[in-house]
Amino acid sequence: MRTAFREVMAGTVRLAGEPTPRPMRLELRADLPGLLHPWTDATAEVTGSVSVAGWADDSTVSGSLEVAPVRARRIRYRLSFTTLAGRRMHLDGWKSIRLDRPVRTMTRLPATVLDDKGRVVGEARLRFHLHRELLPMVTSMRTRTGPPPTAAGLLRPRWRGRRGRLEVWYSTITEPRTGTGIWLHHELVAPTDGRNAYAHGWAGVFPADGAPVLARFGPVSWRQPEPPDVYDADEVAVSADRLRGRAGDVSWELRRSGGGEPLYTFPRWAWRYGVLPAAQIVPLPAARFTGALRYGESTVELDGAPGNVAHIDGHGNAARWAWLHADLGDGDVCEVVAAVAKRPGLARLPVLPMVRLRLGGVDLPPADPLLGAAGLRAEIGLPHWTVTGRLGPARLRIEVNQPADGTLAVDYTDPDGSRAVCHNSERADALIIVQRRAGGEWRTWRRWTLLGTAHAEVGTRE
Amino acid sequence: MSDGVLSGAAAAVLGIDDIRARAVAARATRLAAAFPGTAVVGLRAAAAMLNAAAYATAGAGLAALPPDRRQAVCDAVAARPGGTQLLDALKVFFLLAAAESRHATPPPAGGHGTRPPAGRPDPPLTCVVADDWPARATADVVVVGSGAGGAVAAREFARAGARVVVVEEGRRFTVEHFRALSPADRFVALYRDGGATLALGSPPVLLPQGRGVGGTTLVNSGTCYRTPVRVLRRWRDAYGVAAADPEHFDGLLDEVEAMLAVAPQPTDVLGRNGELALAGARALGWRATPLRRNAPGCAGSCQCAVGCPRNAKNGVHLTALPEACAAGAVIVTGARVHRVFVARGRAVGVRFGDREILAPLVVVAAGAVETPRLLRRSGLGGHPQLGRNLAVHPAVSVAGRFAEPVVSWSGVLQSVGVEELHDDGVLIEATAGPPGLVSFLPPGYGRPLRAELDRADRLATLGALVADVPGGRVGARTVRYRLAPTDADRLREAIVAMGRILLAAGAQEVLTGINTHPYARTPDEVVAAASAAAATDLHLAAFHPTGTARMGADPARAPVDPAGRLRGVAGVLVADASVLPTCPEVNPQLSIMALALAVCRPAI
Repeated sequence: MRTAFREVMAGTVRLAGEPTPRPMRLELRADLPGLLHPWTDATAEVTGSVSVAGWADDSTVSGSLEVAPVRARRIRYRLSFTTLAGRRMHLDGWKSIRLDRPVRTMTRLPATVLDDKGRVVGEARLRFHLHRELLPMVTSMRTRTGPPPTAAGLLRPRWRGRRGRLEVWYSTITEPRTGTGIWLHHELVAPTDGRNAYAHGWAGVFPADGAPVLARFGPVSWRQPEPPDVYDADEVAVSADRLRGRAGDVSWELRRSGGGEPLYTFPRWAWRYGVLPAAQIVPLPAARFTGALRYGESTVELDGAPGNVAHIDGHGNAARWAWLHADLGDGDVCEVVAAVAKRPGLARLPVLPMVRLRLGGVDLPPADPLLGAAGLRAEIGLPHWTVTGRLGPARLRIEVNQPADGTLAVDYTDPDGSRAVCHNSERADALIIVQRRAGGEWRTWRRWTLLGTAHAEVGTRE
Repeated sequence: MSDGVLSGAAAAVLGIDDIRARAVAARATRLAAAFPGTAVVGLRAAAAMLNAAAYATAGAGLAALPPDRRQAVCDAVAARPGGTQLLDALKVFFLLAAAESRHATPPPAGGHGTRPPAGRPDPPLTCVVADDWPARATADVVVVGSGAGGAVAAREFARAGARVVVVEEGRRFTVEHFRALSPADRFVALYRDGGATLALGSPPVLLPQGRGVGGTTLVNSGTCYRTPVRVLRRWRDAYGVAAADPEHFDGLLDEVEAMLAVAPQPTDVLGRNGELALAGARALGWRATPLRRNAPGCAGSCQCAVGCPRNAKNGVHLTALPEACAAGAVIVTGARVHRVFVARGRAVGVRFGDREILAPLVVVAAGAVETPRLLRRSGLGGHPQLGRNLAVHPAVSVAGRFAEPVVSWSGVLQSVGVEELHDDGVLIEATAGPPGLVSFLPPGYGRPLRAELDRADRLATLGALVADVPGGRVGARTVRYRLAPTDADRLREAIVAMGRILLAAGAQEVLTGINTHPYARTPDEVVAAASAAAATDLHLAAFHPTGTARMGADPARAPVDPAGRLRGVAGVLVADASVLPTCPEVNPQLSIMALALAVCRPAI
């Protein structure tokens, strides 16, 4: 069994030679072997981010967390990160638990910041604010048995012969040199009326200097793929490491590297038990692709082009939806699925925006994304749509623009035969602003502007 | 209590006028700030009792009485049971305060009044004040204490490439401090509890311990005796300490002697006190030689006990610690270690204040009094023998009055060793110094005392250490010491021997240091005085506390194993005076350092 949880601490760091301390914030996600309890004596892997005003701006941290509050009376943090100036730093600090002062000693973390040569660069005094951070920490706690799911495992087909199911494997990529967007969409449809399941899909190419191109493949009868493939439709195949295929005059042969930890846009439980009408996850949210894609006379050469591979499983497409995938660099990702389910009753509800923002290895909102959706509001439209509201402790504003000349309108068919139109652009613009509460007011903490590199779509029905 | 009581007591006990008494009382109050609270309360109570006695016998407080009546009060109190102990406590205290006024500027080589020539510059030490030390730090080795044992441990591990942090409770003293501050100020600054550490018992014994970077080696006399072979054999054969095998240990002692530049004290700066000791011993046909010391440039400033103003004495702050720092060790000063952390059966670091250092190896070298206390605070004091078996080298001093000036505080503080009785466990060392700053207490109270002080330049003093039966015990706040009857006999034997030496050197009379018979003019009178003295009549001092965490092969008898590892926990080495299995019978600096080498070398 393993326990994952999130911890946020804030305080100050006094850097050597500086008269006043700087504000500091540490956001960590820990993955601990075993169940977390007072007698735990284990070392967790930790990723996250550290912010020190003007010195380390939301730098990615990684390291270890030794948790032994009773056995060794110590909780020790050993983390490494890189400053804005590019210097590698190491934070080493621990809470020494005293049974006569449990709260104070469990919530205060004095730490020393050292450089690569072991010289003391600064001294940090961080604090876990119980009233602000305890609930998010507790709600972020997850336990699981067995090894963590791998991307390949999460991409494996989930269809077990039920009627009325739709399963999608899609990958969207931006080739950064030419600005070309790529959309590879692979579907498995098990019709509601009992006809045989079939595989089909399409490839969309969004060149910077021309109209987008769409080419379909299939349908062909569904057959269970041979591992490591997770999708097989004659000429078209998908595995966790490879995408290849041909659709009309578009052909592709791509190898995947990197990808990061799987991103759960929908709650894990929703994915695992399939209780929602549909669920989407991104097993490879920050992947890099190398290879070539040919369409017509043109060839797009990819060399470490950023993209993602996602997986959808459900009854069919939503009544209305919007989707955004924004690669923010350094493994940071923003994923949005805002949808209204097609089921009777649910269709009357407002759009439910599921947002997952991964910064420095820490995912926001810290708690369940379905609960997080309660604080958000989406205005879906074309070419412009927005998501605004609270995302855990932060305030979020996402604005997406899908240029008409860079958007493909693709007809979708649900397992029950109903139709939808998906307006997809792999060359969309996006503005993402995250604000934090500081000094009694909301202050912009992070801001990203993506021009032509955001991947977005809006689904509508007649 | 008003300061009038204190100054009245000072005037009465020292036999001085009111103006000087007020100055002494003011200085005494200032110096007492360094004393433990109980000592201050005790001294104030003693002064109050003396004042009450004045009311009872003369109808007024001491401050209001004329000198004659004060003298009468002192004499009356001295005649009462316990009166001499009360007056002696005040006398020691006031003499220390008065010493400051007598030595407002540090005396130079061979005389008083001008500043001594500049001493050897201090070698570089990497010292960080605790307040500037990060709250969280790590090291390969943490050494608790920077005295003789800790310094050697730091040097050994640092030279082996380990990241070493030495944590020292005291501050760093430089030669500039020793030159700028008065001896009395240095005395209270350099010693734990301002020098007022008392071992409770009958009689109670003062047990001075240095506190500062360098530990007691800052303030010891610089006498460097090699561990006697019979002691080493005892450690090896009776305690199973293989490292104490004389053949092996000799090499370690050689190494330590080379580190400290130990050599016989040249006779040119020996001083008259030492010369008289040599002459007396020679007249008796006894073995006596200038002591071997670690002070190659000694100019006879006679201030060893309060820090050498010339940096001539090679304390570990000038030898082992600079070498450790050159190899990368860091010394955190002003940091009293509160506890050693233990997790999963092994030591993992130390805490001082709210600061912590994690290290897989903790070397405890806090001295024989503080080491067992630290281990107990840390929950490591489970061994029943920890804190027991304290040996302290009980010591007595005897002075001889000569017709011509001796000026014993001009020359080497501890200059000559008389080893005639060493096989009996009595080591006589010519030890002198300014009144108030040495353990010899001039006899009398009031005017007789003042007369003695006025003639103090004609006194030569000798001291004797007795190899005692370990009879002390270190508690959480107190030290208890029981003088064994055999040791009291040895002390009497020592007084007689010292009296004979002084008389043989031409002394007109001997000041025995025994309240009941303070003066003797012939060897027979000395014998009579000594043999008639009860143990409680002896004015004792104690030095060299050892043995409170003794090493040995028998797990039931020794808290520390022969390799220096504390039993019952991994990762703790003990490398200070507390591991000495028995009293070393000589000044212990070399023994401690060599044993620390023996402990640390195999652990590297």
